[in-house]
Amino acid sequence: MTLIDPAPVKMSRRAKTSTGASVPPRRGLRRHIRRYWQLWVMAAPAIAFVAVFSYIPMYGIQLAFREFDFTAGLTGGEWVGLKYFRQFFESPQFWTLMRNTVVISVTTLVVGFIAPIALALLVNQVIGRSRKKFLQTATYLPHFISIVVIVGMLQVFLSPTSGLITRFLEGLGLTGVNFLGDPSAFVPVYVISEVWQHCGWNSIIYLAALASVDTQLYEAAKIDGAGRVSIVRHIDFPALIPTMIVLLILNMGGVLNAGFEKIFLMQNPLNLSVSEVISTYVYKIGILSNQFSYATAIGLFNTAINFVFLVVTNQIAKRVSNTSLW
Amino acid sequence: MRTARKTLTAVAAVAIGGLVLAGCTSGGDDGGNGDADGGSGGGETLQILVLKHPLTGPMADMDWVSQLEELADVTIEWEEVSADWDQKKSTMLAAGDIPDLVVGVNAITDSDLVTFNGLFEDLGDDLDALPNVQGMFEAVPETEVMATQPDGAVFSLPSYRRFWPQTATRQYINQQWLDNLGLEMPTTWDELFDVLKAFKDEDANGNGDANDEIPMDWSPTGTGGFGFFQPSAFLGSLGLPITGGGGSGYFVEDGEVGNFFTDERYRDLVEFLHDCYAEGLISQEVMTQDYSAYQSVGRGNGDDATVGFSWGWTASDRFGAQLAPQYAATAPMAAPGADAADVVWSYDNYSLNYGPNSITMSAQTDARDAALRVIDAFYDQDISVQVLWGDIGPNIEETGDNAYTVLPPTDANSDPSTWKWTTTLADNGPMWIRDDIDVVLPADLQEANDQAEPLADALANVDPVADVFPAEFFSLSAEDSSTVSLNNTNFLAIAMQNWATWVTEGGADAGWDDYVAQLEAAGVPQNVEIYQGYYDEYVASLG
Amino acid sequence: MLTRLTRLRRRSPGDIAFTVFLGLTCALILFITLYPVYFVMIASISDPTLVATGRVSFWPRGLSSFGYEQIFADTRIWTGYRNTLLYTAAGTALNLLVTLPAAYALSRREFAPRKVLMLFFAFTMFFSGGLIPTYLLYRDLNLLDNWAVFVIPSAVNVYNLIIARAFFEHSLPEEIFEAATIDGANYFQFFLKIAIPLSAAIISVIGLYYLVQHWNDFFTGLVFVRTYDKQPLQIVLRDILISNQAFAGGAGGAGGTGGSYAQQYADQIKYGVIVVSTLPIIALYPFLQRYFEKGVMIGSVKG
Repeated sequence: MTLIDPAPVKMSRRAKTSTGASVPPRRGLRRHIRRYWQLWVMAAPAIAFVAVFSYIPMYGIQLAFREFDFTAGLTGGEWVGLKYFRQFFESPQFWTLMRNTVVISVTTLVVGFIAPIALALLVNQVIGRSRKKFLQTATYLPHFISIVVIVGMLQVFLSPTSGLITRFLEGLGLTGVNFLGDPSAFVPVYVISEVWQHCGWNSIIYLAALASVDTQLYEAAKIDGAGRVSIVRHIDFPALIPTMIVLLILNMGGVLNAGFEKIFLMQNPLNLSVSEVISTYVYKIGILSNQFSYATAIGLFNTAINFVFLVVTNQIAKRVSNTSLW
Repeated sequence: MRTARKTLTAVAAVAIGGLVLAGCTSGGDDGGNGDADGGSGGGETLQILVLKHPLTGPMADMDWVSQLEELADVTIEWEEVSADWDQKKSTMLAAGDIPDLVVGVNAITDSDLVTFNGLFEDLGDDLDALPNVQGMFEAVPETEVMATQPDGAVFSLPSYRRFWPQTATRQYINQQWLDNLGLEMPTTWDELFDVLKAFKDEDANGNGDANDEIPMDWSPTGTGGFGFFQPSAFLGSLGLPITGGGGSGYFVEDGEVGNFFTDERYRDLVEFLHDCYAEGLISQEVMTQDYSAYQSVGRGNGDDATVGFSWGWTASDRFGAQLAPQYAATAPMAAPGADAADVVWSYDNYSLNYGPNSITMSAQTDARDAALRVIDAFYDQDISVQVLWGDIGPNIEETGDNAYTVLPPTDANSDPSTWKWTTTLADNGPMWIRDDIDVVLPADLQEANDQAEPLADALANVDPVADVFPAEFFSLSAEDSSTVSLNNTNFLAIAMQNWATWVTEGGADAGWDDYVAQLEAAGVPQNVEIYQGYYDEYVASLG
Repeated sequence: MLTRLTRLRRRSPGDIAFTVFLGLTCALILFITLYPVYFVMIASISDPTLVATGRVSFWPRGLSSFGYEQIFADTRIWTGYRNTLLYTAAGTALNLLVTLPAAYALSRREFAPRKVLMLFFAFTMFFSGGLIPTYLLYRDLNLLDNWAVFVIPSAVNVYNLIIARAFFEHSLPEEIFEAATIDGANYFQFFLKIAIPLSAAIISVIGLYYLVQHWNDFFTGLVFVRTYDKQPLQIVLRDILISNQAFAGGAGGAGGTGGSYAQQYADQIKYGVIVVSTLPIIALYPFLQRYFEKGVMIGSVKG
């Protein structure tokens, strides 16, 4: 019984052809319902909730193409087409915002994707139940510290004169770096603190995947004389691949999402050239001055790009592996 | 596959059906959900949303609230908000779902008033029911100008606090350090430079460590422009009259609106600050520290002060009670080549003594008369005093007709300003503090007034009409408001970056022309022009 | 046990190097994750002026319980705790009831509509109508200022749905399904009797995700709830906590508002609030951890 078993794939292909379009539609529908009505029942509540709470409000998207007119209602404002999209593209800030957003989110995405996998594999190697549990809990704790405090701590630890980390690095001979002010330090500080905070939490899903590895595989490997490194490589790591692919696809859908609150709190006039991102710009323009249409348009642009990335990654994943979202 | 698609279409059809229905009902129909039924006989229940300072305790603990209810003959259900109001508000307003009254200075902004046209009651034709408000308009005409829209409508009412100084920013130097080093009080930028240099090089605080002195420090400037307690205060030394600490840079000089971010005097200031920074005279963390760090550094280490020269509201607030006596409030420093007679200072009278949009009323309220009675009660003499400083009894003593004494905090650990904010709405409330009453002010306000003394000459040089950018009096149209804020966001991003880089690394002189061109492309002249129009209208309205 | 025995018997040089490397890395990870957490704890009982100027590093200085006194002096915190517990319990229960069956249904490869359905779900992770139409919808459904608003609209988190589905798809051996089908089990029976018991690990992960989501949810209360008695803990704590911005803004608005006392209040509470709000969640985690142990799944079937 192996995990990445070719059997299900074959079976699913068989299944596909058996319910496929070769059967006349009407009979096919009846047959489909007779065979799968239980699956429909199981999926129905989720479908209903999503339809009501996500799809019904979607008419609000048209605000991106209309003037916000309070007296006329959400759908009654004057149709202005792509005016607000054009306004965004022509904004003197546009390319800076795009560049900053992509740099921050892609770096976070890559580092933040790899780190939890490494951590899960590592934790899984720790021998002794209590030691393992302790390590797991310790790495999971920082996730719960609020962003305001994380940024406050970064201020304290990285202060050029009194900061603990600054002093430590000075001891190692790395002097004169202003981690809070130097624009080139912004992305590393952001990403490292992000990984530090969420790595443990994000590794939980991988630990769950590792928990489902058949122990017989380990025993068999040991009898074959495999070392620990090769067990990690040939048993643990492959067990994580399906989860990894799903998370990678989902993460790629966040390619333009750079966390608003933390970046906003970390901004100062010295690092503004790299720290102004789409979400902070929208905040400054939209929330603070009632630019509903403009903010909606930028948001829509943002999600559209994200969605394209998700779809493309999903297609690639479908080609190269057996895992995809649809 | 095909059948599946059909099923999906059916699902989608249902969803779309719902969508259309929802679209139809999304007007903005029922708004105020006051459950009182229309009658004007008194005793109604009103729903009031109040935007409080985070320190302020529950409304139920304030005694003046029951006096207010009695005076207006209503029962009030409070919805108390003290955090994240902007997020909560935009949805609430856009959905047309507001309570009978909204209380709190600028809880509803000018931009909200024009964007959500029709949501708020025009009080212009209700003034007969508001005798106290009418009285305030007559006694303090500025409040009427502030309240009135260009078309004459009155959607919100301001507050008037009377006793605040004309400026928020006071300038402090550590007198004890001057004495320790045998230095004179500086009066010009050059002298200040030498003094700061001595602070830096010598052991000014006398604790044996010559390196723990920070000669100059200021409140974090952030990315959205300037504010109080920041070096924009120095612009006055160059004769440039700012208001409210600087804001987005707009100022009025002899009736002309300008923006100091493109003014060469601002460049001269930045150059001077860079000279100081390069010599190590300014905190190396000045551009990156947050407000807590800035405040904590000012508090020094026990009896040893850390900061030599800075700006603040009062010495006790800025440096803590223990170190405050070491500091002296100073007069503005003259810039090289500038005429001392031209020196001015940030004029903040309108933002300190007036609170724009302190109360607004829903146009859809079911209990109009009751709401009007509550509004008027807020402007009652006794209620106003209590809204500002706390209940008569624990916080205020009534010492005679029209005479009050604000009492010190009963909690010995607290200071007067914290005390005020914890016990009442304070500056956030609607109120009219009469010009003819006598009030013995709390210690913090006395201190603020005393320490503003050295600034009096510079403030006297400011013409309250021709040299003040009166943002509080402008009611921008929706279109102007969006143009202005868009341009501001775009140009401030460039301006504040350059500010920080130029102060820390220099280059203002070389980069100036390019920078001005960038700011002009980002819309500074357009905004200046828009503001000039509103300013001219404002001047005309003064008659 | 078994691993330990084998380790003792045979130790190749590679394994020894690996063990050393493992130990050092774990020690480093422990230090860098635990130190900041420890810092939050000592900062919550230290003099905030010393904290902000970097003079508190390893031991608390200027001890004071002021922050905690202020937090617990606020009686609203207990209402907040009660509400949050209620919303979290009810919300997580509904989440699992709705998400797991759907995830299972979508994991069946022979279920052809699943592709379209996945797209239907995934689409909503990106496109949303925004707050205003949502607010209007909740108003029409009578969810405003109603405790159900914390439970019902968030019944499905698509991200969790996708993760659960992936898990069902890849970790439930197909042979078990085939065997069960031969025994005459239908989808319902298979889901309840086999899939669920075999998936303790993923159920606890998804449950934890949902639980934390509800626990930390402060936005729902902020926008959709008006009555303070219905507000969750996070809103109460947010109100007790006075952030830096409130101060900088307050100082701008009214000219040096809170004095030294208020500043102290703010900074210490900032750290105390974290401790108060996360302890319950942290305490829960070790109970879930046992489901991440190796062999739980296979054991439960074979045993």
